[in-house]
Amino acid sequence: MAMLEVEHLRKSFGGLTATNDVSFHVNQGEIVSIIGPNGAGKSTVFNLITGVYRPDAGDVRFEGKSIVGKSTNQVVDLGIARTFQNLRLFTNLTVLENVLISQHHRLRSNWLAAVFRTPSYRRQERSMREVATEKLGFFGPRLQSFRLHQPVYVLSYANRRRTEMARAMATGAKLLLLDEPSAGMNPKETSEITQIIRRMRDEGGYTIVLVEHKMNLVGEISDRVVVLDYGEKIAEGEYRSVVNDPKVIEAYLGKKAADDKREELADG
Amino acid sequence: MARIVTPTAFDAIDPAKRIRNVALTLLAVGVGVLVLWLLEGAGSTKLVQALALFAIWGVATVSLNLINGTLGILSLGHHGFMLIGGYTTGLLMLDEAARQRILTSARSTMTEETLALSVSNLLRGVGLDALTTPETLWVRFLIAIFLGGLLAAFAGLLVGTPSLRLRGDYLAIVTFGFGEIIRLTASTRLFSAYTNGALGFPGVTSEFGKSIWWTFGVLAFTVFVISKLKYSSYGRAMQAIREDEIAAQAMGVNVAYHKILGFVISAFFAGVAGGLWVSWLGGVRLDFFLFQLTFFFLVAISAGGTGSITGVLLGTAVVVFVRQYGDPLEENYTIQTWLYIASATLALAAAGAVLFRTLRRLRPRLHWGSWVLLGGAAVAAVVAAVDPAVIEGTFRGFGMRAIFLSVLLIVIMVFRPEGMLGRTEFSWSWLLREQRTGPTDEERTQDAWMSNPAFRSDAGAAASREVEGPSDAAAPDDDEGGR
Repeated sequence: MAMLEVEHLRKSFGGLTATNDVSFHVNQGEIVSIIGPNGAGKSTVFNLITGVYRPDAGDVRFEGKSIVGKSTNQVVDLGIARTFQNLRLFTNLTVLENVLISQHHRLRSNWLAAVFRTPSYRRQERSMREVATEKLGFFGPRLQSFRLHQPVYVLSYANRRRTEMARAMATGAKLLLLDEPSAGMNPKETSEITQIIRRMRDEGGYTIVLVEHKMNLVGEISDRVVVLDYGEKIAEGEYRSVVNDPKVIEAYLGKKAADDKREELADG
Repeated sequence: MARIVTPTAFDAIDPAKRIRNVALTLLAVGVGVLVLWLLEGAGSTKLVQALALFAIWGVATVSLNLINGTLGILSLGHHGFMLIGGYTTGLLMLDEAARQRILTSARSTMTEETLALSVSNLLRGVGLDALTTPETLWVRFLIAIFLGGLLAAFAGLLVGTPSLRLRGDYLAIVTFGFGEIIRLTASTRLFSAYTNGALGFPGVTSEFGKSIWWTFGVLAFTVFVISKLKYSSYGRAMQAIREDEIAAQAMGVNVAYHKILGFVISAFFAGVAGGLWVSWLGGVRLDFFLFQLTFFFLVAISAGGTGSITGVLLGTAVVVFVRQYGDPLEENYTIQTWLYIASATLALAAAGAVLFRTLRRLRPRLHWGSWVLLGGAAVAAVVAAVDPAVIEGTFRGFGMRAIFLSVLLIVIMVFRPEGMLGRTEFSWSWLLREQRTGPTDEERTQDAWMSNPAFRSDAGAAASREVEGPSDAAAPDDDEGGR
């Protein structure tokens, strides 16, 4: 059974239809990429899934249950976490605190127990810290030891991206929505993050949906690719077949390039 | 599954230092208690009163800072919460003589039923007559301030609810409006049976509000609860809301719950502070709870540092000191004396500027602005010394205290906008100047890992093998900007 099913999702802002009749599904353990030119509605799809926006029509089902109308934090409780395209870390807090905050919703002590530091609270706090270092460990030792206690504002851009991914992982989510995880990274860092995303799936057991512009990253790790253009799904399938699809080429490179491709396909 | 084998330091400070810090803190608390004890025995009433006021306002500022500093919401309605706690405590703790006076007074609007509301009657009602003796007054006071806190907390719930829909300045205006609504509602006919209208009532026991032990005890409890809350998972969630509300919600934090929780806890302690404040004043009156009160708290918080509980207490100490010992500022002096004062102030400002530029390593140390200040000082001194006939007369500096505080706030906001302590709490390491001079072994190991390209491709596996690899500090560190 598909883990996440998105069906006929439609959302418009005034006269602008951001997504129109978008359907796709994500199976357990898959890495699915959503690609498309700027303004295609990729981030809107993320916002619709995580409850930031409410769809005008259509349905989002997670593990068989509809999650439309749930608030953002309830969606996280169910097991979907996201990262943001333009980093939204808690800048003045430390790396460790950032990764601890995303586990707060799983805390089973009330605030009085937290104030008086009951044994049960202490136990949970300790296990939260263990989870935090485990998730930060996906990125090597660079976010460990003394880095744990550095405020986020002293981190490099790439490290902030990594912290945000660790923060999303630490929520206890099964499904991660990564919004441009390699934005602003150099080629070396991009190839490293590609490996890490794969390890997140293989070792961490996460199912991953990516929005990404870097095609080599998408091609290397995606099981399937969903292509959006002007809010509509124009193609879906394996990377190789999708990038040769004339409709996709038209969306990215224009009609002429698409016609050339069509001729080429007809000839070959 | 690849795991990182680096030793993980969960705590920013190592255990030995931690034990030393706890010992030093206990020692400091012990010395503080001793000093308070000596002051109470030997010191003047004025000093004791000032200290008690510091503790009472400390309860209010520390609780206000839970909303303003930790939750990041500018709340201007703290005087309203204090009023609720204050009037509740006042009414429940009225002594018998005062009750009779109010009952027989022609101007009083209180009735026999409302005057019968007291902790004593409450305790008699549940059959605890043993607690209504004069010796057990403290039990009744505790019950009264607790009830006052609870009522204020309920008001906090009401004020906290609109905070879910509003943000920033708009919310500040709403909280200010709520504070004023509470104050004005208390004076209307609706509640005048309980509050005696705008007149209020005297006759609230001063035994606790002016006792150092009671006020500092409550302050210690407040600081304990609020600091433990701030440094718990709940406090982290509140700080996350301050940093980025959308991200906090996207990471599973129930923003609505935590905002209201913050408001309720803060209002509870504000109510308790109101009870102590009423006891310190010895009575209840509407103009004890003007917006000015919240303004003073905001000055204390901003001057001390919104991110830091110790900073807030430091700011409170400054504000209370100016309030209690600022009388010389408002006395009647000849204009000649005022000119000398102005001259000295300008000279001090110039000296302060030189000190500031020296500490910040700015050159030249004597900025042209300092020359202007010194010139002004010289002119004032010369005019005062010559004492021409045109400046005959005296001048009384009404409101000079508030002006002094305002100027102080301006200076702090210009030169240190984050407040005196900023976000950092007072710590022994800071006091003992335990600053780091170079990278630790741990950092060198990480540098080696960062700068060796062989490790870069597969992070986890390489790291767990090569953590103890040789340090290669000379290689450029292209990835890391910040240290």
